[in-house]
Formats: sequence, structure tokens, C-alpha cells
Amino acid sequence: MAVLRRGLLLLLLLACPVAPLGAQAPEYDVKAAFLFNFVKFVEWPADAFAAERAPLAICVYGSDPFGRSLETVIQGERVGERGLIVERPDRLDDLEACHVLFVSGSEKDRLAAVLARVKDAPVLTVGDTEGFLRAGGIINFILEGSKVRFLINQEAAERSGLRISSKLMRLAVSPGGR
Amino acid sequence: MRLLRDLPIRRKLVVILMIATGGALVLAGAGLLTLDYFRLRSEMATDLRTLAGIVGLNSTAALSFQNQQDARETLQALVANPSIVGASLYDGQGALFARWARPGAKPDIPLRAGPRGASFRGDFLTLFEPVVLDGKRIGTVYLVSSLDEIWHRLLLRALTIAAVFLLAALAALALSSGLQGLISRPVLHLADTARAVSERNDYSLRAGKESADELGRLVDAFNEMLSQIEERDTELLSAKADLEHRVADRTQELQVANAELQQSNRELDDFAYIASHDLKEPLRGIHNYSMFLLEDYADKLDDDGRSKLETLMRLTRRMEVLIDSLLQYSRLGRIDLTMEEVDLNQVVAEVLENLDASLQAERAEVVVPRPLPRVLCDRVQTGEIFHNLIVNGVKYNDKERKRVEIGYEEGLSGAPPAFYVRDNGIGIPDKHHDAIFRIFKRLHARDRYGGGTGAGLTIVKKIVERHNGRIWVESTPGEGTTFHFTLGKGDSIAAQHAEPADSPG
Repeated sequence: MAVLRRGLLLLLLLACPVAPLGAQAPEYDVKAAFLFNFVKFVEWPADAFAAERAPLAICVYGSDPFGRSLETVIQGERVGERGLIVERPDRLDDLEACHVLFVSGSEKDRLAAVLARVKDAPVLTVGDTEGFLRAGGIINFILEGSKVRFLINQEAAERSGLRISSKLMRLAVSPGGR
Repeated sequence: MRLLRDLPIRRKLVVILMIATGGALVLAGAGLLTLDYFRLRSEMATDLRTLAGIVGLNSTAALSFQNQQDARETLQALVANPSIVGASLYDGQGALFARWARPGAKPDIPLRAGPRGASFRGDFLTLFEPVVLDGKRIGTVYLVSSLDEIWHRLLLRALTIAAVFLLAALAALALSSGLQGLISRPVLHLADTARAVSERNDYSLRAGKESADELGRLVDAFNEMLSQIEERDTELLSAKADLEHRVADRTQELQVANAELQQSNRELDDFAYIASHDLKEPLRGIHNYSMFLLEDYADKLDDDGRSKLETLMRLTRRMEVLIDSLLQYSRLGRIDLTMEEVDLNQVVAEVLENLDASLQAERAEVVVPRPLPRVLCDRVQTGEIFHNLIVNGVKYNDKERKRVEIGYEEGLSGAPPAFYVRDNGIGIPDKHHDAIFRIFKRLHARDRYGGGTGAGLTIVKKIVERHNGRIWVESTPGEGTTFHFTLGKGDSIAAQHAEPADSPG
């Protein structure tokens, strides 16, 4: 019995860290990974960065649901020549410096104001609140069962001067279906 | 190879050319196909890697965002490539993420990603290819391709090669049939000329030269040879004619010489006969007058005179015997033989009957161990041979029991039989074997062994020779003598006894 219990424990311990980013992983770990992966399928205009090798900033605005998972995801990663940093700005004025901006559900009531602030800037706005796209956001996470999916507002992306890869577009759940 | 050896040269050349061409084509074809096989394999692996790269590129988003549905759709697009029977995607940890199998096919799709690379397994080519995004491996593509296409393409290639082979063989056949004449025509022409020369014995024929190559040189050499033969033939003919002429001349000369010789021989015989015949008459006179003298003047002669007259008479008698022998001998050369088939047993019986008295007086025994054959000879003269030899055998004999044996040995391979007369007499030393046949040659004092003229063996030899035979003697002094003779030509017997002096006994 003791052996069996210990084996079970070991199995659990092993399963947790190596578990793929699938349905079993906590929702925000998946979303953190997705945030990072979006970077690879989106092209920013050259003037979006202060310098050629300036880091790409992923920002979280509002109360942070990710914990340390964003930092874990970008740990040691690079996109092309650029490194990655995670920022948590407090002020709306700082949002234009972000390249990816996750607007937390806590800002649900101020969405229009936040998004209006970065509407014309090359900032990939991501959210998981209802009506995020309507409010002018570019990517909105949704849940299909336990699976994380997303919707894309291509018009908003084009307005921001961002080019979203067709591969990413293909994965997006069609807005009409929601 | 044996079949090829006996083919006519023109067919042989075509066959050789065809074998050479065919062999080269088959080897080239096999080489091409082998090369193709490996090239196709390698091409196929490259193509598959390219395809895997495209699939991987199209799967980056699906892998990044855990969208199995999209990954499956990407894999399903492979249905357009008929070689691909199955495909799968693995995530960054190597676990199976999505799979697709062609309907009806049951490809073996592993549950975990394997090491990168292509491998041929049975009828399939499988490949693991990493999916890379931004320099980071985010998953693996696995493809299973059927090798049917390789075999299909190889078959197509083989058929093409076979068609080319057939066309090339036909072309080679046509070409070689045309070109073989370059070699075969001069050779055949040469062969025809050679046959014509040997059939007609006409050495003035010449082969025509068509080319300046080895065959041309062969034709030249052949013609040169014919010239030499022709030249020698002419020389030979003239030499032959010359020789025939000389032989005819010599024959003529020999015939003349022979005729002359026969003439002088006959004259000699005539002379001897006439001389001895004529000598007898005065001799008879001398004898008669000596006798008259001895009878009529017996009272007037003293003993010495009487003794001398008796000696005179004895000498004349002896001279008469000598002359008789000479007459007999010379008569042999003058008369012709009467050849007939003679039973020698009868001849010998008659001889023994005549000699009966003297044989009994000498207490001599004559034996004939087996019946003698019938031979072609002169009956009287053959009797003379046996008579003389028997008399000799008894006369020159100091044994208590005198014995004479008469017999014969069959001749080998058609040769005439060799007769013999064997005695147990005093024998004749080797050195005298020739001398005994000379006329009036005596080995002993006149009064020993009953006297005699010494003409007997000479006469025997002459009779044998007139029968074209041979006579020879074997003897061991003190033990006996054997005379052998043949009646007729007997080369093999003669050769067998060519040196009788050397044979023992």
C-alpha cells in the first residue's frame, strides 16, 4: 500500500510540471503562453520600436490574473533579435509603449477609454471580456468547453498598423459564430 | 561457343557484333536502372523532406495554439499527394498531437516522435521532420510515403530502356549485316580462290585485293605463296620429265646389259658343256689306251711301270667324274625348269628308294616327322636337292647311328615354307659356310669321307636359286648340320634367317 501511494504521488509530481499546455493546464497559464505565441504571428511596423534591438513589451493592465506565469513563459525567449519584457503599467499614458497589451477583466467598465487610448498605436490589444472586440480590441480570448480559443478583429489590427499572419487568422473563431 | 565456332564467318561476325552490342546495352540498362533506383530513393527522400517542411510550416500556428482541429485539417490536405498514406504531428514534448491516414490505408503511426530523418522500411519511406518556429522546435511532422511510385517509375524506365534496346539491337543488326562484308567478303573471296586452286590444280589463279589492312596483307601473302608454288610446280614438272627420261635411259641400258649378260651366261654354259663333253672323248681314249697298254704289254712292264699306268687310269677316271659333275652343273643352266605342283612326300620316297642300298650299308636312318606339303617346283631337280643333301648328311658323319631328318617350317604371312635337312654329322665350322657352296671345293682330304667331287652343294644351290629360293646352313661342329632352303621367293623367311651363322644350334 505504502509503495502504491508513493508511486501515485510521484506520478502526480511528475505529471504537473511536464503536463502540456492543454486543457488540463490552468486557464491563465494557457493564456500566458498564447500571449507570447501571438507575438510570433504578428508583425509590428518598424517605428513601433525605439531601437532595432529594443525589447518587445508585453503589458498587463488592471489586476493581474497571470501571477508569475507570463514571466515563466518568456523566460529566456527571444523573438528574432529582440528580447521580451513583461510590464504592468498603472497609468494610461504608459500604454502606448506596450507592444502587446492584455486588458484585465477588472477594467471591463473602462474598456472603451483604455482601448481608445491605444486605438491608433501599433499595440496588439488582447482581452477576455465580453464585447472586447466591439469596444475596439484586436484579440479576444473565449472558452470552448475547456479549450482556450480566440476571436480576431482584423479591422482593428489594420487600423493599428499591425499585420496578423494568415495562419493565426485561420485559427481564430469566426466572430459570426459567437 | 561450340555452336558459334562452326557458323559461317559472315553469320559469326553478325553474332559477335550482336553479342557485343547486346551485352553493352544490357549492362548499360542494368546500370541505369540501378542508378535510377538509388537516385529515385534519394529524390523521394528529398521530396518528402520538402513536403514535411511545408506541412510543418503550415502547422506552426496550430501547434502554438493547441488547435488539433486545425492541425488535422492541415494534414488532410496531404490527400492530394497520392504517395502519402499517412501523416502525424507531435507537440514540443514529442507526444502525438494529430494524425491522418489515407482512407483504406493502415499506416503505422508511432505515438511518440522519433529521431529526425528518413528511413526505408518495407514498402514505405517514413520521415520525422522537426517543426521550427523562430528557431525553436515546437513539434515534429511524421510522413509515411508509399514506394509504389518508385517502382512505377522504375518500371516505366525499364520499359523505355527495353524499347531503346530493341531499336538499338535492330539498328545494330542492320549495321552489322551491312558492315560484316568488309571482313567476310575478302575472306570468302580468299577461301573461294583457295578452293578453286585446289580443285583445278591451277596455280596461276590469284585472289583480288580489296583493302590495305591485315586481310589485304593476307591476300598478298596468299598470292605470293601461289606464285612460289607455281614456280616450284614448273620446276618440279621439268625435273620429273628429266628424271623419267633418265630412268628410261637407264632401263634401256640395263635391259641391254642384262641381255648381254644372259647371252654371255648362256655362252659360258654352252662352252662349259661343249668343253666338258669334248674333253670326255680324248680322256676316254687315254683311259682305253692305258688299259690296252696294261693288258697287251703286261709281260713287258715291270711293277713300277704297271703301278704308274694304274695311277694314270685312276686319274683319268677321277677326271671323268669331275667332267660329269661339270656337265651336270652346266646343264642346269641350259635346260628350262618344268614347274608343276609336286607332292614332296613322293619325291623324298623315290630318293630314299634309290639310296636304300647305300643307306643300309652305312646303317643310316632317314626320318620325316610329318608329311611334307605340295609345292610348285621342278620335280626332278627338287629330288636332286634332297638326294644331294641326304647323301651329304650320311657321308660326312662319323656317328655310330647316323641320322637324317627331313622337315619344314611354315612360312610367315604368305611366304613359302622353309625346308630343312638335318644330320647328326661332323658339322661345318662357321668360317666355311660360304665356301661349301663353291664348285669343287672340298674341306677334307680327297680320300676322306668317301671322296666326291665337291660339286653337290654347288648344284643344290643352283637349283634352289633357279626356283627363286634361298639356301643357308646352320651347324655346330661335332654335333650336326642343318641345311634350310626355300623354293620360291620368301623375303620374310630370308630375313628371319638372314644371319644363320649367329643362331645357336
